[in-house]
Amino acid sequence: MILIGEKVNGMFKVIGKAVAEWDPRPIQDMAKQQETAGAHYLDINTGPKAEDQVKTLKWMSEVVQEVTDLPLCLDCTNLDAVEAALKILKHPGMINSCKCEQNEIDRLFPLAVEHQAAIIGLCMNNKGVPKSAEDRAAFAMELVANADAYGLPFEDLYLDPIALPVNVAQEHAVEVLETIRQIKTLSNPAPRTVIGLSNVSQRTPHRPIINRTFAIMAMAAGLDSAILDVLDEPLVDAIATARLIMNKDIYCDSYQKVFRQHSI
Amino acid sequence: MALTGLDIFKQLPKKNCKECGVATCMAFAMSIASGKAALESCPYVSEEAKEILGAAGAPPIRLVKVGVGEKALALGDETVIFRHDKTFFHPTAFAVSVDDTLSADLLAAKIAKINDLKVERVGQELSVNLIAVVNASHDSAKYKDTIEKVTSQTDFPLVLISNNIAALEAALSVVSANRPLIYAATADNYEQVIGLAKSYNCPVVVKGNNLADTAALVEKVAPLYKELVIDTGSRTTSQVLADQTQIRRLSIKKKFRPLGYPTITFTTSDDPREEVIQAGVYIAKFASIIVVKADEKSQILPLLTWRQNVYTDPQKPIAVEAKIYEIGAVTPDSPVYICTNFALTYFAVEGEVSGSKIPGYILPVDTDGTSILTSWASGKFTADSIAEFLESSGIKSKINHTTCVIPGHTAVLSGKLKEKSGWNVLVGPEEAAGIPAFAKAHFL
Repeated sequence: MILIGEKVNGMFKVIGKAVAEWDPRPIQDMAKQQETAGAHYLDINTGPKAEDQVKTLKWMSEVVQEVTDLPLCLDCTNLDAVEAALKILKHPGMINSCKCEQNEIDRLFPLAVEHQAAIIGLCMNNKGVPKSAEDRAAFAMELVANADAYGLPFEDLYLDPIALPVNVAQEHAVEVLETIRQIKTLSNPAPRTVIGLSNVSQRTPHRPIINRTFAIMAMAAGLDSAILDVLDEPLVDAIATARLIMNKDIYCDSYQKVFRQHSI
Repeated sequence: MALTGLDIFKQLPKKNCKECGVATCMAFAMSIASGKAALESCPYVSEEAKEILGAAGAPPIRLVKVGVGEKALALGDETVIFRHDKTFFHPTAFAVSVDDTLSADLLAAKIAKINDLKVERVGQELSVNLIAVVNASHDSAKYKDTIEKVTSQTDFPLVLISNNIAALEAALSVVSANRPLIYAATADNYEQVIGLAKSYNCPVVVKGNNLADTAALVEKVAPLYKELVIDTGSRTTSQVLADQTQIRRLSIKKKFRPLGYPTITFTTSDDPREEVIQAGVYIAKFASIIVVKADEKSQILPLLTWRQNVYTDPQKPIAVEAKIYEIGAVTPDSPVYICTNFALTYFAVEGEVSGSKIPGYILPVDTDGTSILTSWASGKFTADSIAEFLESSGIKSKINHTTCVIPGHTAVLSGKLKEKSGWNVLVGPEEAAGIPAFAKAHFL
């Protein structure tokens, strides 16, 4: 299970303030904390307030790379900003994300191949998120066919079936689980799967338990990675435990500690 | 392995005509992958595509048979790269090579020696499997004569090794009914050799000059004939290891049909010890047949043992035979230890009894190879089953006392066992590691 730490994001107050003041310290502290907690990638998101996305995303990536060797997951809808930041990455990173729209695919897939970056493909287009697993899987298939056409290794394609908040879009969660199962049958080797885990519990008073439960159910369906709160210790413990039960990691008494030391 | 959506999509015409009832070819491919639609509903799919998609359902490595009757061999049909993922099914066959240049006397001696290359191990008779007769003389009459002599002296199936078509044909006229393996079809002669294999209905080796070359040759041969074994032509251990690994991976993981056949390998070292090590690598790494020069028991026995171990089913517990085991120089006064016939349990106890330096008898009760606590929990290690074994094993005739030691974890059985058997029951330590101290305290 590949853990993508979600906390270097301008939406969070501390980071938002640091971005506004061009103060690297809080950003670097958050990066280090997530690394210690077991993150494999660090999501970098400027937040909506940054005026110059290109400049800000690049600067955030630079300051994070000063303190950690973890690869970065460039989380930005501004494709120019993603392209500029990709160029300064020290380790092959991840592009977050590409909708199933041919113009985005045609721009981002070659970039991913050029920089040996992974890319998150969203199972949706400009019209929005489909409801059924079938419609989501159809988008997934289109992304897979494009990966094949562009020579993007299937292991570098992370398909996101789009998890929505369970309080307002409850009927989606089960479709997301089914989509994950179907994605695993699309190609050989199969594309990887990813979800924005915290999204599923947005604006509910039960966030940790909802996140944890959904993470484990999704792993059982074939989930390979998630963008999540890696500082949530019980969540990471639960993920480590799920891996044991699925016979992905060999058991030892200190498995929770060992899982946090895994590199990818 | 099931077909993926992408595999199917690539074979579809991509017209998006909707005549199959699905909106796009891509959606149709996904429907087939999930079993909701049949390929037949597409009117434009090519015959070639149908064959490719149909073949994908076949096993990744073809099952090929050599020989007939009791000594017939099944080769191939493997499904995993590591034995712990499931098991390896069809053990590597050993073929001992014999040249047709040997005199009649030497040939007879050699065949007699090969016939005797067998051993009994854990209740199974292990032996070599094939005799590879090499047409070293390049003379077809001599080859035919040798084949006749060999078949009169052995019932092992043969591998016919010659690059002379006439010699192969002469040999086949004698032994084809025993379904020998023909070696080999190459880029130069494959049409003739495959013709022979087809008319005599015998399996045949396709030999290339490297992995890619072999795959290309199989692609030419397979439409003509499919009873194939492959030889990539590599002879150094490192290259054979690389080839064998690629063949196994490509056939299983990528469903790469041209390499989906059993393989044949050859040892080359002139040092008898190195030859054994070479063959040991090929056993572990997927060879279906190994042609060896080795004909000494000291060389063959470790290989037979290794092969048996590699090809056991790792999901089945390994059991020892339920009988009396004598550890050290036992006397009628020596103690009697009870355990179960799970190999790990037995060997743990054996090691400690031996380490105690006090000779003793070990009686592993038949619990279908399960451990003490497992068999106790499943009702296989009971006062009744132990009492029955004390009676049936014949231990009474070997000793002049009636005291036995049971494992400490099953102390609860002692009273009932004493009642059932009439033996004096001592409760031993919970762990076998406590046996030496226990033995010194009770039996010194």
